[in-house]
Amino acid sequence: MSDSLYLAWRYMRHHRIKTAILVASITLIVFLPAGLQVMVSRTAEQLGARARSTPLIVGRKGSALELALNSLYFESKSPDAMRMTQAARIRDTGLARAIPLHVRFRTRKQPIVGTTLDYFAFRGLRVEQGRQMALLGECVAGADAARALGASPGDSVVSAPENIFDLAGVYPLKMRVVGVLARTFSPDDDAVFVDVKTAWVIEGLAHGHAALKEGEILSRKGGTPVANASVVQYTEITPQNIDGFHFHGDPGEFPVTAILAVPHDAKGKALLMGRYLGRDEVCQIVEPVTVMDDLIATVAKVRSYVVAVVVLVSSSTLVSAALVFLLSLRLRRREMETMSKIGCSRWNVSSLLACEILIVIALSVGLAAGLALVTNVYGPSLIREFIL
Amino acid sequence: MKRIGLLLALAACGDPGPAEEAGPSGPPTVHVVSYPLRYFAERIGGEEVRVVFPAIEGDPAFWKPDGDAIAAFQKADLILLNGAGYASWVRHASLPESKCVDTSEAFAKDFIRIEDALAHAHGPTGKHAHGGIAFTTWLDPEQAIAQAQAIQVALLRRWPEGGFEHRFAALRADLLELARRLEAVIPKGPGVASHPVYQYMARRYAMNLRSVHWEPDEAPGADGWAELKAILKEHPARWMLWEGEPLAETARKLAELGVKSIVFDPCGNTPGEGDFLTVMNQNVTALAAAE
Repeated sequence: MSDSLYLAWRYMRHHRIKTAILVASITLIVFLPAGLQVMVSRTAEQLGARARSTPLIVGRKGSALELALNSLYFESKSPDAMRMTQAARIRDTGLARAIPLHVRFRTRKQPIVGTTLDYFAFRGLRVEQGRQMALLGECVAGADAARALGASPGDSVVSAPENIFDLAGVYPLKMRVVGVLARTFSPDDDAVFVDVKTAWVIEGLAHGHAALKEGEILSRKGGTPVANASVVQYTEITPQNIDGFHFHGDPGEFPVTAILAVPHDAKGKALLMGRYLGRDEVCQIVEPVTVMDDLIATVAKVRSYVVAVVVLVSSSTLVSAALVFLLSLRLRRREMETMSKIGCSRWNVSSLLACEILIVIALSVGLAAGLALVTNVYGPSLIREFIL
Repeated sequence: MKRIGLLLALAACGDPGPAEEAGPSGPPTVHVVSYPLRYFAERIGGEEVRVVFPAIEGDPAFWKPDGDAIAAFQKADLILLNGAGYASWVRHASLPESKCVDTSEAFAKDFIRIEDALAHAHGPTGKHAHGGIAFTTWLDPEQAIAQAQAIQVALLRRWPEGGFEHRFAALRADLLELARRLEAVIPKGPGVASHPVYQYMARRYAMNLRSVHWEPDEAPGADGWAELKAILKEHPARWMLWEGEPLAETARKLAELGVKSIVFDPCGNTPGEGDFLTVMNQNVTALAAAE
């Protein structure tokens, strides 16, 4: 048998291109349905886990999917903003904890997540290097974000403008990295966290500048001076200028993109959801697990169509592969006659051909398994990156 | 015997030191931003909580903690804030909202707004302004009781098994007694405050009070005296409230103008001796003596 295997192997090495085409075809036939299954299952698992750990999200009325994706994965377009007073509204019900989220800006490619310290406790995030953010202008980076930005405690990162063509837009803010979070294998690893007040500074709702001189004041509206454009705003918050930072308006009216509501119990959850059913209600409350289940159901439906197509293609490919074998047998008739003349039995010739088929199938299955493994690891992030 | 001696020596080395250094196995910690809140929390919380008020040089209202000091607050089980804009550092700090309790929230609609606040400098904290909202809320005993009640509610919510109600009742009785005594000795007629910190007390007892920006340990300059004389022309004050004992020279000059100096310590920071009630009773005595 080992002789047959050796001869089969040598034959395949000699006909590399034909073997490679056969292996690639069979690999794809095996991988496509299996890989699709792995990718959908893993995505469903990951999406579901994050969604299950987040009981409720409150946001402005609009796309529930966009709200959930932005609040859970810090991806997708920012949902319409709502007022920070909505957090107080949730707290005042006594039914749930309220954790505001402001996910709108980025530093390079990493999302800047404005929130409160309660978020860290809620997600179980732990500072591995440095310390927790404490002052306006400080940030802590997720493990992958720190690596991508090349930042460690003591370094600085700069917020990116929303639109590079908006020259009159908000000033970039230089933020001090004071800590790096331990890896959690979740979207939190990719984010840079700041206090929600710092997010408002980036948005231009709070700012700092040197004391106004008389020549810089254009007018006064109700005691509030209106300065001209020559007043230079601080682009970094330091211990020296922090007292000069002030909010224009009531912070309760400032925007947040979502509020994570963490009910104290099941009854509180039901009651809280009922508070957002009014016709005049400007906000919506969503159960992330429901939104994600809908999304996963859609993905599964698409998968079943794709599998049907794959089965058809696979069948025709298998027939083609069989044809290739049969034709190659005809082409190799003289080779087999030679083998008989030098003393090979019919059994030897058959086992040689069987070994060739076996090697092709083994190589294909091995490759398909490797591809499925890669899909298992990177599939969910690829789906999040390119599809969601 | 040698082994016992070694154990004793190790035990002495392991002395946790001040209460702030105690480990996580102790009672839950309550961090506060002012001394009155510390006093109220200690009276209500008793042995069941460990109240932490950092050692602050100068007025806690204008304290500027660094990141490490704020990190200590972040680790607390409960953070008691005065509200009304007191401790302006809170505006710039990241504190866990679920642990923060604004003790003056119940009477926020009654806050006194200060227009055209004058920025000034004294002491190690540098330049500051008493702008926005008057923040020495506890000088109105009724408001002090409301703040103490907010503390009691916050403690009960977190630790329902604590015996906080009866201790709050005792504190409330003491504050009501203080209010009664204070009302009896409030000086009649116009007066001046050396610093704009007595607004709530003045409102509670209908005091006719105007303010300058003088410090007890600094001689007011010529501008300061000119400002006072201008005030006295239209507001013939016969007494001035001081946060601390004024310089003898300042007191003498005031006396020449017919203005008696009365020390009324707002007690925002930990007193050198005694406690909040001791200091307030000294204030009452000082007011009574001035009559």
